Amino acid sequence: MADTIVVPEAPVADADAGRALREVGRSMPRLESTAKVDGSVEYIHNLRLPGMLYGRIHRSSIAHGRIVRIDASAALACDGVHAVITADDVATIVPNPYYGPAFHDQPILALGKVRHVGEPVAVVLATDPHVAEEAADLVSVEYEPFDAVFDEVAAAAPGAPIIHDELKPAGMFTDLEHVAGRRGTNVALDARLRTGDIEKGFAQADQVFEHTFRTGKVIHATFEPMVSVAEPAGPGGLTIHTASQSPSFVRSEIARLLGWPENRVRVRTAFLGGGFGAKLYIKLEAMAAVCALLVRKPVRIALTMDEQFYTITKHGATVLIRTGVTNDGRITARQVETYWNGGAYADIGPRVTQKSGFTAAGPYDIEHVALDNYAVYTNDPPAGALRGFGISQLVWAYERQADIIARALGIDPLEFRRRNALRNGRKHATGTVVYGMEVEAVLDRLAEKMEWHRPFDRGSGTIRRGRGIAIGVKACVSPTTSTAAVHVYGDGSCAVHTSTVDMGQASDTTLAQIAAEVLGLPTPDVRIVHPDTDVTPYDMATLGSRSTFHMGNAVRRAAEDVRAQLLRIAAGALGVDMGDLECRDGAVLSRAGAKLTFREVMLARFAMQAGTIVGVGSYTPSYTKPDPRTGYSPNITPFWMLGGAGAEVEVDCETGRVTVTKLVNVADVGRAINPASVERQLCPACSICRAS
Amino acid sequence: MSARHERAVAFTLNGRRVGATVATHETILEVLQREFGLFGARESCGQGLCGCCTLLVNGTAVSGCLYFAAFADGAELTTVEGLAKNGELHPIQRAFVEKSGFQCGFCTPGFILMTKELLSRHPQPTEDEIRHYLSGNLCRCAAYPDIIAAVKRAAELMRA
Amino acid sequence: MKSFELVEPATIDEAVALLEPDDPGVRAIAGATALVPMMKARLFQPTRLVSLRRLDGALRGVHEHEGGLRLGALATLTELERSSRVRAVAPVMSRALRTLSNVRIRNVATLGGHLAHGDPHMDLPPVLMTLGARVRAVSRRGERWIDLNDLVLGYYQTTMAADELIAEVHVPAQPTGARTWYEKFTALSADDWPTVGVAVWYRTDAAGSDTTRPTVMTEARVAVSAATERPVRVPAAESALTGAAPDDATFRKAADAAADAVEPLADLRGSAAYKREMIRVHVRRALERAR
Repeated sequence: MADTIVVPEAPVADADAGRALREVGRSMPRLESTAKVDGSVEYIHNLRLPGMLYGRIHRSSIAHGRIVRIDASAALACDGVHAVITADDVATIVPNPYYGPAFHDQPILALGKVRHVGEPVAVVLATDPHVAEEAADLVSVEYEPFDAVFDEVAAAAPGAPIIHDELKPAGMFTDLEHVAGRRGTNVALDARLRTGDIEKGFAQADQVFEHTFRTGKVIHATFEPMVSVAEPAGPGGLTIHTASQSPSFVRSEIARLLGWPENRVRVRTAFLGGGFGAKLYIKLEAMAAVCALLVRKPVRIALTMDEQFYTITKHGATVLIRTGVTNDGRITARQVETYWNGGAYADIGPRVTQKSGFTAAGPYDIEHVALDNYAVYTNDPPAGALRGFGISQLVWAYERQADIIARALGIDPLEFRRRNALRNGRKHATGTVVYGMEVEAVLDRLAEKMEWHRPFDRGSGTIRRGRGIAIGVKACVSPTTSTAAVHVYGDGSCAVHTSTVDMGQASDTTLAQIAAEVLGLPTPDVRIVHPDTDVTPYDMATLGSRSTFHMGNAVRRAAEDVRAQLLRIAAGALGVDMGDLECRDGAVLSRAGAKLTFREVMLARFAMQAGTIVGVGSYTPSYTKPDPRTGYSPNITPFWMLGGAGAEVEVDCETGRVTVTKLVNVADVGRAINPASVERQLCPACSICRAS
Repeated sequence: MSARHERAVAFTLNGRRVGATVATHETILEVLQREFGLFGARESCGQGLCGCCTLLVNGTAVSGCLYFAAFADGAELTTVEGLAKNGELHPIQRAFVEKSGFQCGFCTPGFILMTKELLSRHPQPTEDEIRHYLSGNLCRCAAYPDIIAAVKRAAELMRA
Repeated sequence: MKSFELVEPATIDEAVALLEPDDPGVRAIAGATALVPMMKARLFQPTRLVSLRRLDGALRGVHEHEGGLRLGALATLTELERSSRVRAVAPVMSRALRTLSNVRIRNVATLGGHLAHGDPHMDLPPVLMTLGARVRAVSRRGERWIDLNDLVLGYYQTTMAADELIAEVHVPAQPTGARTWYEKFTALSADDWPTVGVAVWYRTDAAGSDTTRPTVMTEARVAVSAATERPVRVPAAESALTGAAPDDATFRKAADAAADAVEPLADLRGSAAYKREMIRVHVRRALERAR
């Protein structure tokens, strides 16, 4: 049994208008429901273009080594093989073929050396996918193997095999500038946080607990495997159709690699068959783009489920956590050293390291904190974000230790958490004052749903039972920007242009609700235009629990811009003051009862049933970059998220099998735009993380 | 490819008699996509484990990713695209919409078709029967509670 | 996958004539659910597949035979799962089939293919071994009967020649009061291949009116699969049971004997030491559940 509870806030009226909300705050089904049950929904997976070639990747069979020779002759001899692309071919159009959101460290195809098993070395292009598959096997690569390192702690130690000669931060994230040019290390980023005086804190403690917790790598296994289709668009252009969570990033990164202005690269997505953090930044896009430009034909590169395991994982991590407590259960000091196994290429790992790393002390009010986070290169496949952006690895450590400490002190685990909880108005270890984080409410609801104060049957014989609770905190990823446009067309109908990607989280519906609320339309009447960088404005990416907040605010502002334009036109047409008008039921209404439908407003503006009114909105919350020496920032995140979970389990002591018999998930979500949709996100989130 | 490695096949697809020339190593899934533009059955795991490629052959569910197209000759095939009649969704589809039995939707046609086989044998399925039939269909978004609710609702709608 | 010659004979004679004794690239194929993943992984690249799907009725059906069962090699696993005849003679088979792979696979996979594949993780071989089943294999040279205990030699290897076909499986009539169970233990996800499979079978003497004499097991069979490179009978466990009372102490003794006797292989489902313990636990549980 799994139970998900959303801690609600009382229904709130729109702060601006002082009126009840009509669309926001209502549970409603997804706009695309019918298409998802009749098979017609669009995924990039389904796309076939005329004359398209199928690309199949030949992958490294070793973890670390120099490429001595690539022999593609047998593959080229296969009937139906059009070309075999290697790094040499890539170099003819991309002289510096290294990409990545955090570091420019990942070559489009292995260049000189390979750094993990499964790294792409060559791409076979063929008219038939089966031929491409057979021929990819026939590419023969000779390697000179090097020592490899897979453990994140060993890789960070002196004397480990060095995976990259030099650190090359990308420059997009200012938090990473200070590591540029470092050589002879696998530590891609060391992110520190110091507050108080850690030694003094331990001196104040009655007891100090020290533990090491480890978590393994996990694969997202999105059911729509990664897929990109690239096609030349005229002599100087390129279109990439891709199952991506970050179309805007794909455009800028491909343009950068090619040395083109962004306006010559068009990137579009459709619905995603799952994302979970796997389909971020560049995955197959650069490879497909280069192949398409080299052969001047559309090229589709689609992974099998197995190939996804070579492409991106969640970080494995080693967390060393040392906590000083007084005998009455107050935490006086916490020191956490975390090694993040980033794999062979940084991907977004350094950001995961930093953005999650500063929460490593947990949702607790601790005066003396020292956190060290190391993003470490290893010879595993690259690691990135998976549902939580690095948070769950840290929660595993600090909440396991919370239970150990509580037991040692003879304090109820729930009570131990209460005594140390970080409350609103207090400073987080980063120096940012916390608000909107209802620790008490979450713990209360957890206790109630778990019936925490009732006696618990711990079983007997070979079946034993146990229960536990945990809370965790995440900061919304910052700094980031979203931009949206809302169009009203000649007939008065409305569309939202947004680069937020709906990968199952129901963002289309949520964003439509926000636009509908502002414009006084029923939500199903709002059309969401899917990401297409030729059409939809910039968005940082669909990740890190940021879209509803950032894009939601951008859509709201864009809709308010449109509303202002509609009201202005109507005010002129009706000869009334703008302040007397409101948008409702697809029309502009005046207090005196006059009414102009949007259709009539458009006619009034353009003198015919035509034209477009465009509203634009952007949202960039403020942010203060942390001091690289102390990690201190008075404004580290626009908001905090707090979640809690409780579980009852049965353990078969003869086999070690654990059965979850009850699972409760509580989250402080603020005001839900679409409450049913929020619950549907939280309930599976706890299942997917349980499987992880 | 020699003629021995190709086959002319004829089968009924969503109620319509159709034919195609297929290679011996092609799966029915590939042929549905290439020849008929049907993408409701989708390859994901490619091993018969996830159920995204489910279709009905002579009324029983099979994994399209493991089913040679040549074996479809003479059979009656149903994909999710064949369920709606005259623009009206099938009751199972309506139930999945009503109960929001999906998130990303990639696995949804497979669940719907497996539900169809379940309800054809057990019009009033018990919880155990539902789990027995659907245990081989996976949802990576983990919408399972809503899916089970949708199956129960579908049984009600079909009896109505 | 690569293309191959596909032939679809109409009779068994034609089918066996198309098989080649010395060419590993020629295989018979029925449901294809086991071979296609191997072909996708390029572990098997056939030159010719002899499809059995158009064969006349000879290899089909579930038949009662002298109080036992005659099962056509082309019977699908779903047919067997739902068959009341199977349930009447060997309820342990019906139960094992419920958790064998998934509905879609069972709808297509056949009994003959399940056995001929020689994968030690398959559920029915240990069950059929304890039921005393035999398979009838046919080839151009004629036919022969193979005891299930002798069928599988190792990973994907059987005693069948490359040009032999399984035609049917014979499960003999089961003595009254025979006790059976199949215990499948999956250490990873519920629908994973088993870490350990244990099938047990025993019968007791009829105590009759003589209540002073304790009931003892007159014959016992224990088979272990999945943890090993092939499904094996465990004589040490069987002799610990035979002649003893079906009580907890005896079952523990047999479980210990099985754990000592069987050589498990380590893989991602567990170390050899873990699997040895799991054999101990599940032989005991299977016996308890059979009781």
